[in-house]
Amino acid sequence: MKKIKIPIGPQHPALKEPISLRITVEGEVIKDADVRLGYNHRGIEKLAESRTYVQNIYLMERICGICSHSHTTCFVQGVESLCGLEVPKRGLFIRMLVCELERIHSHYLWLGVAAHEAGFDSLFMYTWRDREVVMDLLEIISGNRVHYAINTIGGVRRDLSEVQKEKILEGIQFLKKRMEYYTNLGTTEPSFVARVSGVGILPKEKAMSLCAVGPTLRASGIASDIRKDDPYAAYDEIPFSVCTATSCDVLGRVVVRIKETMESIKIVEYLVKNLPSGEIKVRAPRKVKEGEAVSRYEAPRGENIHYIKSNGTDKPERVKVRAPTLANYPATIEMLKSGFIADIPLIFAAIDPCICCAERFVEVIDTKNENTQVLTMAEIKKRYSKSQGLKKGSSVWPL
Amino acid sequence: MKLRPGAFIPELLKHLFKKPATVMYPFEKLNIPKDFRGTPVLKPELCIVCRACVRDCPAFAIEIETLSEEEKKYKMTIHNDRCIHCAQCVESCPTKALFMDDGYELSTDSRRKLKIAYVYSRPKKTAQQSSEK
Amino acid sequence: MAIMKALVYLFVYPGLLFLFVYSTFCEWFDRKLYARLQNRVGPAYTGRAGILQPIADFLKLLFKEDIIPENADRIIFSILPVIGVATVATAGLYLPLWNYDVSRTTFNSFQGDIIVVLYLLCLSTVILFLSGWHSTNFFSTIGGVRVLTMLFGYEVPLFLSVLSPAIVADSWRLAEVANFYQDFPFLLFFQIIGLFVALISLQAKLERTPFDIPHAETEIVGGTFTEFSGKKLAFFRLMTDIEMVVGSGLIATVFMAGFAGGLMGSLARFVLKTLIVIAILSIIRATFSRIRVDQMVVFSWKYLTPLAILQLLVSIIIKGVIK
Repeated sequence: MKKIKIPIGPQHPALKEPISLRITVEGEVIKDADVRLGYNHRGIEKLAESRTYVQNIYLMERICGICSHSHTTCFVQGVESLCGLEVPKRGLFIRMLVCELERIHSHYLWLGVAAHEAGFDSLFMYTWRDREVVMDLLEIISGNRVHYAINTIGGVRRDLSEVQKEKILEGIQFLKKRMEYYTNLGTTEPSFVARVSGVGILPKEKAMSLCAVGPTLRASGIASDIRKDDPYAAYDEIPFSVCTATSCDVLGRVVVRIKETMESIKIVEYLVKNLPSGEIKVRAPRKVKEGEAVSRYEAPRGENIHYIKSNGTDKPERVKVRAPTLANYPATIEMLKSGFIADIPLIFAAIDPCICCAERFVEVIDTKNENTQVLTMAEIKKRYSKSQGLKKGSSVWPL
Repeated sequence: MKLRPGAFIPELLKHLFKKPATVMYPFEKLNIPKDFRGTPVLKPELCIVCRACVRDCPAFAIEIETLSEEEKKYKMTIHNDRCIHCAQCVESCPTKALFMDDGYELSTDSRRKLKIAYVYSRPKKTAQQSSEK
Repeated sequence: MAIMKALVYLFVYPGLLFLFVYSTFCEWFDRKLYARLQNRVGPAYTGRAGILQPIADFLKLLFKEDIIPENADRIIFSILPVIGVATVATAGLYLPLWNYDVSRTTFNSFQGDIIVVLYLLCLSTVILFLSGWHSTNFFSTIGGVRVLTMLFGYEVPLFLSVLSPAIVADSWRLAEVANFYQDFPFLLFFQIIGLFVALISLQAKLERTPFDIPHAETEIVGGTFTEFSGKKLAFFRLMTDIEMVVGSGLIATVFMAGFAGGLMGSLARFVLKTLIVIAILSIIRATFSRIRVDQMVVFSWKYLTPLAILQLLVSIIIKGVIK
């Protein structure tokens, strides 16, 4: 059968953000896959260099719309370690509370998206309806549904009242009940299970060697979680378990995310019931001592890394963000191979891609002499036409 | 795992006769929680023109112009089209002259309409002092 | 007088006008029910409770820009939607609503019209395949291939299950089948398996979830409809709606004892019975997730076809008992 190349993206109904997947298919079977990034580069890292640390918190929040709290916490933790600040216990607990609520919200959202990609629109509507509950809880705590803006350098900005605590516990009970129902439904509805089980296989060794992170890695049977491996905030004193699955397919990723949501609900309960009293923040200096810091954080999608270099002024010299989605791309290509066309959206959605979070600049490293070089788009195009032997004026982007 | 075909049907039929979860937005609205971060509003009588808000605003949405140095007359412009509603200005303000109201329906047909300007003199005490001079 | 009657039959009831109005109503009913099952509101603004929404959509599409792909065959590409509407509307004429006489053959009711209806409904599927193939787009081509692949899956169980009541009634004429079951309604209980198979196959024929494989939007964008816009898309949508009405009308005729009772009585029965069928189809649509095309073919040959054959055996045994 003849091999044809089909372009999934940059604009495609299955993709919520622009990315180009070029899939080589034979009939309905995928033979090869290729990912092209760079449609949504926003220059956030460069922008961060011209803003003060306080302003940067809000800039980092806007890297992602769903794990906004992950990026601020990761950034703020780095700055705090540079300044040598000790965040009060209550502040840390509220920070973790928002973090876990965000995880619940993100996994609910993902379940809906996965159902929609599989054509199961009823499940999509129901999960997103119930997600409103956790969004409302976050709004009550922080004053906004998406960009919580609750972190500040040295603690959190808002305290938790007794009324809010009660509301959280109440909402959490509802979410728990609903998630139990979806667990039951998602693993017993035959048409949905037929779509997700055995699809997008990522064996344990491959997951390890391709550096997958987050639920994608855990669904391949590797219990890796930054909250356990390298505890930040106060995760070392909170009882919780790392959820894994051994089936290595999309169903495994569904199961891991559902289990994680249940675990997060337990953590939220623990945090609310054991909230220590005291201050919520300490005063932070405007200027940060010279130095470098790396901060790791377990975002809903996996490990999030921020690198901050400060030069003693009130503005960072360099901020580097490694969003979890970027780490999962190599694994996605592996998963796509030998699947069906019908599986593309599901496999791609199973890493919970947040495409514009992962858009970074292009740096070319010469392997012979280790020279690094930053390339412009025009230069990339020129090199590409040269390598492909294209004539001047012919289409650089063949698809 | 046991498979049950049509496992969703009871839930679906149960909701057939229930009220839809949709809020018919422009006609009915949800309650806004107490500490909702809406749009920033200035209480001109409290402002001491320390410019902390201008310095901390991540979106550069606040501008303070000096209209006249002698009369201590100032003009603060809040660009709501640039505002990202983070409420950092409220936090930075030492005299609590800024606060967030619960307005969220900001859309208009022109960016200019979102610009709000406050023209004011320094607080009375300073104003009186300057007039005594 | 007979010519006037025939013209009314062709253009007003149950011809084009009635089919257009009723199919838009059925689309509204389907959308509203689907929305309510999902705890949503559904169409709400155009007309009372959004009842005019499908007509508004149709009119809106008529005024939209109409694009024909560069490499596509202009004539075939433009003519396919019209032929599609024509075939399914023609199939609608053979439903025994009025203007037929059981004792003699007319142009709209004769021995073998049940086969003609099934044939015309099958033709509309082939038109979908052709439209996908002629769009010269990757997604359309894949969609077109999927249409054909699915056709081989559901067509056999649909034919077998629809024909088995006719075997018991000993007639290939829809009007006679319906009349037979009006006289012996209890015999319908033995057609339950057939009804089940026919409903699932109809769902596949109408390409609705779980069988919306040829135009699965998250996989292959619009599938067969990717390149269609404006008037052509409007006609394709109309075709799908009319197909839904005719398909459910066919099931109502052979499995639910047809629509006797004069002009108004038959209309009331027709509306009631087709709405019941459409409601079941909507519930099926809300309950399942889309399956893959290979799973669909396996499903129909592993479960649907054996069930249809079982129904056929049951029908033959019943016929023997009656005699």
